[in-house]
Amino acid sequence: MSVKTFAAIDVGSFETSMKIFEFSGKNALRVIDHVSESIDMGSDTYAMGKISNEKLDELCHCLNQFQDIMKSYKVDAYRAYTTSAVREANNGIIVLDQIAQRTGLEVKVLSNSEQRFLDYKAVASKSNAFHRIIEEKTAILDIGGGSIQISLFDNDTLVSTQNLRLGVLRIQEVLTHLNAGNSELDALVDEIATAQLSLYKKLYLKDREIKNVIIVDDYLSPLILKRVGNDVDKAIITADSFDGLSKLFASHSQMEAAKYLDVAEEKIPLIRISAILTNRIVRLMEAELIWAPGAGLSDGIAYEYGEESKLLRGEHDFEKDILACAGNISKRYMGSRKRAETLENLTMEIFDSMKKVHGLGKRERLYLRLAALLHDCGKYISLVNIGETSYDIIMATEMIGLSHMERQIVASIVRFNHSEFSEYEFLGGWGNGTLDRKNYLVVAKLTAILRLCNSLDRSHKQKLKGLKATLNDNELVLTIDSQEDVTLERGYFDMSAEFFREMFSVTPVLRLKKKF
Amino acid sequence: MTDFLNPKYYTNRELSWLLFDHRILNEARDKTTPLFERLKFLSITASNLDEFFMVRVASLKDMVNAGYDKKDIAGMTATEQLTALHKEIHHLVDLQYSTLNRSLLPLLEQNGLKIVKAHELLTVEEGEYVDKYFMENVYPVLTPMAVDSSRPFPLIRNKSLNIGALISNKKKDDEAVFAAVQVPSVLNRIVELPNGDGIRKIIFLEEIIERNIDKLFLNYNVICKHPFRIMRNADMTIEEEDAADLLKEIEKQIKMRQWGEAIRLEIEDGCDKRLLKILKKELPIGEENIYEIDGPLDLTVLMKVYGLDGFNQHKTPKFVPQQVPEIPEGCDIFEAIRKQDILMHHPYQTFTPVVEFIRQAAKDSSVLAIKQTLYRVSGNSPIIAALAQAAENGKQVTVLVELKARFDEENNIVWARKLEKAGCHVIYGLVGLKTHSKITLVVRKEEDGIRRYVHLGTGNYNDATAKLYTDIGLLTCSESIGEDATAVFNMLSGYSEPLFWNRLSLAPLWLKDKFLYLIEREKKHALEGRKAHIIAKMNSLCDRDIIAALYEASTAGVKIDLIVRGICCLKVGIPGVSENITVRSIVGNFLEHSRIYYFENDDHYEIYCSSADWMPRNLERRVEILFPVEKQELKEELMHILTLQLEDTQKASLLMADGTYEKIDKRGKKSILAQDEFCKEAKRKAKKGQIAQNTNARRFVPKTHTDEN
Repeated sequence: MSVKTFAAIDVGSFETSMKIFEFSGKNALRVIDHVSESIDMGSDTYAMGKISNEKLDELCHCLNQFQDIMKSYKVDAYRAYTTSAVREANNGIIVLDQIAQRTGLEVKVLSNSEQRFLDYKAVASKSNAFHRIIEEKTAILDIGGGSIQISLFDNDTLVSTQNLRLGVLRIQEVLTHLNAGNSELDALVDEIATAQLSLYKKLYLKDREIKNVIIVDDYLSPLILKRVGNDVDKAIITADSFDGLSKLFASHSQMEAAKYLDVAEEKIPLIRISAILTNRIVRLMEAELIWAPGAGLSDGIAYEYGEESKLLRGEHDFEKDILACAGNISKRYMGSRKRAETLENLTMEIFDSMKKVHGLGKRERLYLRLAALLHDCGKYISLVNIGETSYDIIMATEMIGLSHMERQIVASIVRFNHSEFSEYEFLGGWGNGTLDRKNYLVVAKLTAILRLCNSLDRSHKQKLKGLKATLNDNELVLTIDSQEDVTLERGYFDMSAEFFREMFSVTPVLRLKKKF
Repeated sequence: MTDFLNPKYYTNRELSWLLFDHRILNEARDKTTPLFERLKFLSITASNLDEFFMVRVASLKDMVNAGYDKKDIAGMTATEQLTALHKEIHHLVDLQYSTLNRSLLPLLEQNGLKIVKAHELLTVEEGEYVDKYFMENVYPVLTPMAVDSSRPFPLIRNKSLNIGALISNKKKDDEAVFAAVQVPSVLNRIVELPNGDGIRKIIFLEEIIERNIDKLFLNYNVICKHPFRIMRNADMTIEEEDAADLLKEIEKQIKMRQWGEAIRLEIEDGCDKRLLKILKKELPIGEENIYEIDGPLDLTVLMKVYGLDGFNQHKTPKFVPQQVPEIPEGCDIFEAIRKQDILMHHPYQTFTPVVEFIRQAAKDSSVLAIKQTLYRVSGNSPIIAALAQAAENGKQVTVLVELKARFDEENNIVWARKLEKAGCHVIYGLVGLKTHSKITLVVRKEEDGIRRYVHLGTGNYNDATAKLYTDIGLLTCSESIGEDATAVFNMLSGYSEPLFWNRLSLAPLWLKDKFLYLIEREKKHALEGRKAHIIAKMNSLCDRDIIAALYEASTAGVKIDLIVRGICCLKVGIPGVSENITVRSIVGNFLEHSRIYYFENDDHYEIYCSSADWMPRNLERRVEILFPVEKQELKEELMHILTLQLEDTQKASLLMADGTYEKIDKRGKKSILAQDEFCKEAKRKAKKGQIAQNTNARRFVPKTHTDEN
């Protein structure tokens, strides 16, 4: 296989950086260059709500230089992503357009869940150590400029993830207003964090014990990694020694701390906040070990590109994480696991048999599966408006690995499983984002399948075990092995078959194979 | 507990520098040195002293003027230092001229070269000859300047040689006025007289002008005439933060250098007191800075005498730098480096591979980028040409040209512009720091991915000085050094520091700590009763923290052998402080320039090379690189270099407890001249390499008869 070089650009809240990667076959990924420049856009966004012209100029200058470097390595491809500093800025779209005009670089804004997913991929790409660590109960603490993300693992699968607006730059912004002195800083950060964190603990940690915490941040973990000679496997410290490290700042001047940690002095304030936060959360979880793999967004970007271009094959099954997350959400809202499973099986059977007709792929199959798992989560809130409430719950709950748009697809499928399907509403009526034509069709097709399956299990008694679906010309023949009376199902089936026929020009036919 | 920082344990760096100039002068006074080499050494003492005045004395003057009264490492104020220096410098200058007048000139005459000291000593025919020479060659380029009420005192240029005269109008009975004419630097200062009685005779240009000076002031009587020379404060002060364009600012300052405060006046011995008085008043200059000279001013002219054709029996034969056996002529240098790390010892081994490294990179289609730091480059540098070529071939070429390299600023600006024109990305140094490191990075896209080739050196990328300075160079494609090299250039381009350095240590951020750590480790080992030994070779040693650490280590029992060519502020033989330390200085034909640092580290000795000396300016105000040499054979080679230098009995001087330097006591020792040994070894290696190459060839080489010429 030929060698490919790839540039991953991370336009972060505090720093803009680029890593040049080399893929050389056999899952070999190597960083050959890494440049970074401090461009503190986060402070602009978090304080003024927009990115100033000065910062934009700086950024464009920096990106132009990055391009020279890319050219010098003759990179085969690049991806440039930006996160909360641009996402939350009022002039984000203009900023991106300016960047495109002035540098020719296409910078994409990542939604929070996409960003965290890439971070997560970056961690997972350090595969050996990663798999060893997550064998035990583990949390990933991903600290960003605007917010932090806490994700929990259970049996090497990620089961929940939650975003908290406790980013280091955001906290620093608050501290600046408070005019905090050196000695009170620890207490203040603690106080700011505690309100949100104790709630988090109540909701997510009550019956979980966490043993390891993986930290992902641009501030602290590089230092921990450095102390062990850049050996990812060894970048593990105990909670107690971490506690000592985080207290270093209170008893030393900024200059002393910088010297001790061998880092630029300007970075100390953010490192300190990151340390206090991490310490607080580690204590909250009563975790024992902290692993700082030093993975960042750029690593995730490269990993993603590598996977998509078939240059890399990851070992970790991220789909399993997403499904586990969905299962957990369903559980939280009292969904029936049995019913979800039945529905999941039915939808998958039909989806697979209809492949030729709907032409959808693996990813869409996942949406349908998720929709089946989450199909009735809204009933926890209202038994009448299940569609709307389910939609809201799904939209408000992050699943790592699913982009915002993907989440909307899943939520919409669930919604229209229950409510009237309306083209108008789709294309612009409600919600934050709207679906484009392509995704609209995906939703419509998957809704048709889900509705059909839903009707087949209307009584929620899982009567239709062992359903076989076969596509014969214009007919989808569903053969059911059931001893039970299926009058109810048949009634609903006819109703939903209409929508199905509309979508695919295929008529579903129900056949009972009675055993005597 | 001893206070190792106590000033009494330190020598003032300027006084120590003067001792270094004395050691060079000793070479000029050494009867075993070939006669013309003695001239060369004497000339070097003079040019060194010039630079010393322009930079060091000037900076002390600045301190005095600014009322800066902080004490130096040895507890002396600037004023105290100046006072001490004046005494010592006068002594040195006296010694220079007595060497010239009493030893060298008579010896030259005995060996067939007569330097006519004064035009009054010319024969009639010779007089006619020089007068004719004057009218034909000299007169047209002279610009006499006289001072009167309408013309102010003229600008006497820094370092220029002039004839000062007092003249009075023939018609009027006016007071005598001052007049001056610069001895034109475009003309050769040596004028050879027509051959007479089997002995070659030369006279200096200023004597010819002096003899004919009345022709310049036709309507005047010349009352007296004497050559003189002044030295000005050349220390540039640039407010970098404010200077929008460093390039322009430096150009401006170079012009300003002509106007710096006069800090030394050299004038012919026994000159007219009235003339001296005028100069004193107009320059102005104090008594202590006036040097009345018994002989030709500006002895750097002796280098030109050395360059006269003939007299080869009185010169050391020129050594031809030998081929590096690992890099035979015409080989693919990248392939050679892939085979093994290559260590080069210049000037014993040729510098060509370094030039070739860049030349081949410029043409190689697989090369993506070339990055290099340039501090001092030679005139017409082949490296610059290759870099420009590379940029024209579409390579990404990044060059950091250090504009602030003293006295080379003007030169560097020219190169920088040339490179920019060719399409190179030129960085004009860093604000507040001089980039003194010598590193080149070539990035190549090869079949199995990106591979980086790195050259690291202790000396400048200057093919001319590489023939005279001893330096170490390493060519490697080690991945960890390659990564570090990329990080170095990223930092030089203004990006953040890397997370981690694999092998290199950089000043000003990490290098000093690294050295202190290495010294401290030896100390620890000594205290634990393990083996502990430091050998360090450098140009100057004057960093207080390092010296204090060495004292501490010595006290703990670490054996410390230092090979310090120039300034050494450390004192040896202080009871309870530095009894385990030896310092020797080697002054030879080649200028000792390599910096090699050896640490015994119990049984796992480490050996490093660097662009940095143990001086505060290297460790704190410059970008410098320290690199380890890790391949066993190469480590042994470096070890051999250090060992041989420690064994030198010919050109080494030992620092004594009283602060003086003494030649090695040769009794009972084999006579060893390290530099000569290295020459022989390089020759042997090159020959061996050639044989190996021939036997490796799959082609037979038929011997044929060829006619020489």
